[in-house]
Amino acid sequence: MLDILLDAVTALFAPATAAFALAAIGLNFHFGLTGLLNMGHAGFMLLGMYGYAISTQNGLPIYVALVIGVLAAAAFGLLLGWPTLKLRGDYLAIATISAAELIRYLGRSNSLQALTGGSTGIRGSDFKFTFEELSPLPDENITILFWTNHGTKSSSWWLHIVAWVIVLLFALLFWQLARSPWGRVLKGIREDEDAVRSLGKNVYAYKMQALVLGGVIGALGGILWALGNSVQPDSMGRPTTFWLWTLLLLGGAATVFGPILGSMIFWSALVIVKGLSSAFIPTSVLSPVELEPFSLVLVGVTLMCLVVFRPQGILGNKRELAFND
Amino acid sequence: MTNRIDRRVVLRALIVLVVAAAAVTFLGSLGSSAVASTPEVASYAAGATSDATAGITQANTIHAEAVSDDGSTETNRYLQQFVNGIVFGLLLALASVGLSLIYGTTGLSNFAHGEQVSLGALLTFFFTTQQTVSIPFVPVEFTIGWPLIPSALVAIVLAAGTGWLQDRFLWSPLRRRRVSIVQQMIVSIGLSLALLNFIQWWFGAERQRLSTSIDTRIDFGMFEVGQSTLWSVSISVICLGAVAFFLLKTRTGRATRAVSDNPALASASGIRVERVIRLVWIMATGLAAIGGILLAIYDNAAAFDVGARLLLLMFAAVTLGGLGQAFGALVGSLVIGVAVEMSTLWLGTDLKYAVALAILILVLLVRPQGILGRAERVG
Repeated sequence: MLDILLDAVTALFAPATAAFALAAIGLNFHFGLTGLLNMGHAGFMLLGMYGYAISTQNGLPIYVALVIGVLAAAAFGLLLGWPTLKLRGDYLAIATISAAELIRYLGRSNSLQALTGGSTGIRGSDFKFTFEELSPLPDENITILFWTNHGTKSSSWWLHIVAWVIVLLFALLFWQLARSPWGRVLKGIREDEDAVRSLGKNVYAYKMQALVLGGVIGALGGILWALGNSVQPDSMGRPTTFWLWTLLLLGGAATVFGPILGSMIFWSALVIVKGLSSAFIPTSVLSPVELEPFSLVLVGVTLMCLVVFRPQGILGNKRELAFND
Repeated sequence: MTNRIDRRVVLRALIVLVVAAAAVTFLGSLGSSAVASTPEVASYAAGATSDATAGITQANTIHAEAVSDDGSTETNRYLQQFVNGIVFGLLLALASVGLSLIYGTTGLSNFAHGEQVSLGALLTFFFTTQQTVSIPFVPVEFTIGWPLIPSALVAIVLAAGTGWLQDRFLWSPLRRRRVSIVQQMIVSIGLSLALLNFIQWWFGAERQRLSTSIDTRIDFGMFEVGQSTLWSVSISVICLGAVAFFLLKTRTGRATRAVSDNPALASASGIRVERVIRLVWIMATGLAAIGGILLAIYDNAAAFDVGARLLLLMFAAVTLGGLGQAFGALVGSLVIGVAVEMSTLWLGTDLKYAVALAILILVLLVRPQGILGRAERVG
């Protein structure tokens, strides 16, 4: 029992949780503020990861690699948004989901193997070193209370600290931008595009800015995720996007802390569900291999119930969040 | 309004295409030049080296096989791929017609439609396999092992039953509560996530074979087709013909088209819209199951994610033909099928679905209403 609880608390603060929170903040710019139905957020994350990892592999310093990852996502956003932002919501959803899958297919194809590593991806040791060299923490295992992590390597205390600082910084950015005049225009677009257009605002340009900004934040989330794991095209498929939507809607779209709370609850709930069901359901009924799909069935059902019964999520305001066509 | 295509939109689409193509070519040349000089590059491509070289040798052997194949038989590769494309397109059409009918009558882009395809295939496997099977949460293992055809029929009926269940207990209440279409779309995404994992949980993650018999190939001179593939194609054509007959000639079919056209007007003229939609759901899921079974026979096996992979192809087909146009879905499926199979002549087989997605994005850029769709404002 205690183990499950400890694991859940670990998941609460894990770098992967922070990475998903950051990506969800990006999605919050798309959906929460502007009402864009971006169903291809994993594509932005994957591009960020590839941009960062490949440029580090080729010997570029970390800041240049970060910029390249960000630029790749920004270019993708521009290219994707330019023709599709004038279309109706569900068209945008289909276009983004296909574009993200396209990126994944290209990334894992044999023809780009030398660059992207094909379906095996890029190993962590090939691109994590520049980040780990920056670490001020000692190069050994450090134990704080119940948790032991390495100081600098892989999912280290160093990564924990950096990841959560970045998440908080972007939450702050979201808070400031959402209450700025710019953010109010975006909210106006979400509520009634034509009204904003009639006020003389260039709706298309605003949507594009939101798409690119959110995509860039998504790419940074992808880089954070890669720093804790490795670059793997198949880990950034459609399910990843759907999880991001689930946790964003769970926490509350259009709120500052919604994505963070949603990500924390999502990941620790997954741990708890898996832990409890492996502890209490006999293996003849639910074998260990079946645990993963079983808990993901619950994720899907949660998403359905959330959208129907509580679209504003935990923190959201019902009046604030209107699903528009 | 008009059939005139906005010139600026075309221009925009062309530029996007050119930029994307240039990027892919550039990356590809980066990749291949690195591959070409493998010895020197080995150290630079650090992580991927061993995999890369393995991949190259594999690719080479595949290529060699293909070449030797060509030498021995007199089949025309282009024609063969074209025929394969038509076959694939006809099978895909079964699934996409349903998707299109649902979109037409309810306005919902159903992201869970792919799972209906997998469900049909794997339910058939469930009834026909000689292995022991079990049902989730029931700790009993048993063997059913029926012949293929009765298993397929039962699977189709069950799958159509899930369509009825879904509409009765999920979509119909949502429509009554006037939940917006976008919300319903996200519900369907949740449903697809749940169903996908449920299917994996039930039938396992392996690729399962529906029949163990080896297919005899019939030589038509310029191309060859498997015998069971011919059967599949005939079944598919009969089913599609039946759907066409239903839509064009029967009273209910006309009602369905009326609802597609304008639900409010249809309702006002005494058509029971809800009943039509229920019927459409049953038909769509049943057709998807037939498509799934035939595709599983065509591909030799089916895994739990077969439908999820096909979903975007179906969307591509449906969008290409015009969202909501049943016959458009057929045309779109054929185009997508041929494009996907022909692309393997030039690109790697692992990129063949990517081609369909590229077509989908292009269509969305140039003519979002599709080939047969009415011109309407979509944004």
